[in-house]
Amino acid sequence: MTDTVQDRPRIRRRRAKLRDGITPGLVIRYLVLIGTVLLTVFPLAWLVLTSLRNSADIFAVPVRVLPEAITFGQYIAVFSQYGLNGYLWNTVIVSIATVVLVILLAVPCAYAMARFRLPGAKVIVSILLIMRMIPVVALAIPLFAVFASIGLLDTLTALVMAHTASKLPVAIWLLMGFIQDLPKEIEESAQMDGASTLRIIVQIVSPLIAPGIGATAVITFLFTWNDLLLALTLSSSEASQTLPVGLTNFVSQFGIDWGAMSAAGVLMVIPTLIFVWFAQGLLVKGLVSGAVRG
Amino acid sequence: MTAAAQPAGRRWRRSPLAPSWQKGYLFASPALIVMIAILIYPLIYSFVMSFYRWDLSAPSQYFVGLSNYRDTFNSLGFKQTLRVQLIFSAVTIIIEVAAGMGVAVLVNSKLRGLKLARTLLLVPPMIAPAVVGLNFRWLFNGQYGLVNGILRYLGLPEAPWLSDPNWALVSVMIADIWQNTPLLVLLFLAGLQSLPQDPIEAAQVDGASPWGIFWHITLPLMRPILMIALMLRIIDTFRTFDVVWLMTQGGPGGATSLITVNAYQLAFQSASFGHAAAVSYVALAMSLLFLAVLYGAPWAARKLRRNS
Repeated sequence: MTDTVQDRPRIRRRRAKLRDGITPGLVIRYLVLIGTVLLTVFPLAWLVLTSLRNSADIFAVPVRVLPEAITFGQYIAVFSQYGLNGYLWNTVIVSIATVVLVILLAVPCAYAMARFRLPGAKVIVSILLIMRMIPVVALAIPLFAVFASIGLLDTLTALVMAHTASKLPVAIWLLMGFIQDLPKEIEESAQMDGASTLRIIVQIVSPLIAPGIGATAVITFLFTWNDLLLALTLSSSEASQTLPVGLTNFVSQFGIDWGAMSAAGVLMVIPTLIFVWFAQGLLVKGLVSGAVRG
Repeated sequence: MTAAAQPAGRRWRRSPLAPSWQKGYLFASPALIVMIAILIYPLIYSFVMSFYRWDLSAPSQYFVGLSNYRDTFNSLGFKQTLRVQLIFSAVTIIIEVAAGMGVAVLVNSKLRGLKLARTLLLVPPMIAPAVVGLNFRWLFNGQYGLVNGILRYLGLPEAPWLSDPNWALVSVMIADIWQNTPLLVLLFLAGLQSLPQDPIEAAQVDGASPWGIFWHITLPLMRPILMIALMLRIIDTFRTFDVVWLMTQGGPGGATSLITVNAYQLAFQSASFGHAAAVSYVALAMSLLFLAVLYGAPWAARKLRRNS
C-alpha cells in the first residue's frame, strides 16, 4: 500500500518509464481508472442530486440531469414528517453500544486465544470461521423466537445483544491476528515484574494493538449501522426500529417518496463516508487482513 | 512465525510464570458465553427445529423428520428460488471476480489519482446494502428513473428493469456487482503489489506480451488471493438479502427470490418457522458445497494428474 524503502528503486524505474512519454497502454490504463471511478461515483451522486430536488423536479419527464433549484426541503421533511430522528437515535445507540461491548469482550478473548495454550482453541477458531458463513436469516429466525419467549422483542436491548453476539466472531478473529503479530518479550518482562494478566491486556497489549482495535471498532460499527435483517425481524415499532428499517417504511407506508427516501439514504451514508475518508487505512487493513487470514 | 519469535515461545513455556490454560479460559469466557447464548444456542435450536413442525402461533411442536426439507425441495416456489439463486451466484461471482481482476491489473501502476480512486472504491462496499437497493430501485424506475431517461434520450428502447421477471434479476445483479466489485479491485491491487517483480520483469526483458505475462505469470502467482476472493464472494452471495429486499422484495412473482429472501418470507410472512429454518440451512449447505468444490476441484485435478 504505502511505499516502503525496498520499493524505491522500482518507483524510480517506473518514473523513468513515465518520462518515455505517453504510450497507448498508459492511455488505456487511465481510461479504465477514470471509467471505474465514474461508475463508482455516479449512482451515489445521483442519490445526492435527487435529495436536493423538489418533488416536481424529481418527477420531471424527460429526466433533468441537474436540479432546477437546490432545496433542502427533503431533508427537513425527513425529520418533520417521517420522524427520522427516532430511527437515527436508535441506530446511533445500538451501533455505539455494540461497538463498546464487542471491543470489551473481544480483546481479552482474543488475547487468551492468541497467548494462552488453550485446549480446544482450534475448535473455537473453526467455529468462529463457520459463524462468518452463516446467513443472517438463519440466526434471525430462532432469535425472534427466543426473544419473543423472554419478552425482549422490539427493544434496543435485544438488538444490541443480537449484534454483539453476531459481530464477535469476526472481531475476535481480527484482533487475534494483531496480537499474534506482537513480540512476546514486552509481555514477558511485564509479567516478570509482577503485572497481572488483566494489567498486561489493558496497559500493554491494548495500546500496542490500538490500530487493530480501531479497525475492528470501525468495521463492527459500520456493519451494525448498515444491518437491515436483524433489525427488521427483532423490532416491530418505532420504539426500536433503526434507519435501514426506516427506509423500508418509506416503501410500504407512504408509497415511495423518492426525494425524502434519497435524503434519508444520504444521511445514512454520511458516517460511512466519514470513516472511509478518515480511517481508510484502518478499514483496508481490517478488511484485507481478515480476508487473507481467512 | 519468525526466527526471533521461536526461542521466545519456547522460553515462555518453560518459565515458571507460564500462564495456565484455566486462566486463559477465564479471560476468554465472557465472549464465549455471549456467543454460546445468543449465537450458537439459537442456531442449534433452529437446526433442531428444522426437523419439527414449528409454528409460532400454534403451541404444538412435533417431530416431522426430514419432511420440512422434503417439502422445501418439492415445492414449486423453492425450485424457482434455487434457480434464481444459482444464476445470481454464478453470474455475479464470475463478473465481479473477472472485472475486479481486470481493473486491478490495468490500474496497477503509478497512475495519477490512484490513491483517490482507492478511497472512492472503498465507498460502495461499506455503505448500507439497503441504501444501495433503494438507490438502484430509483435509478431503474420505469418512468422517472435515470437509466431509462438516458436510454430515451439516446433513442434506444427502454427496459422494464424492475417490472419484468427476467429484467428484475438482471437489475438486482447489477446492484450487487456495483456494490461488491470495488472491494475485489482493492483486494487484488493489494495482492498485485505484494507479488515478486523479478519474474515479471524477466519476462518483459524476454519480450513476452502483456497478455502472456498476465496469463502465465501474474495469474498463477495471484492464485491464493483469487481463491480468497472466490471464497468471500461464495459465502456472501448465499447471505445476500438487503439489496434484493429493498429493490424487489423477491418479486415480481418470485423472480428475484434468493434463498435468504425465501426463508425470510416463510418465517415472517407465512409464519412457518420450521420450513424457514430448513431453507436457511439449505443456504448454508449450498455455500459449504460451493466452497468444497472450490477447494476440492484443484486438489482432485492434481491427484488425477499424478495418477495418470
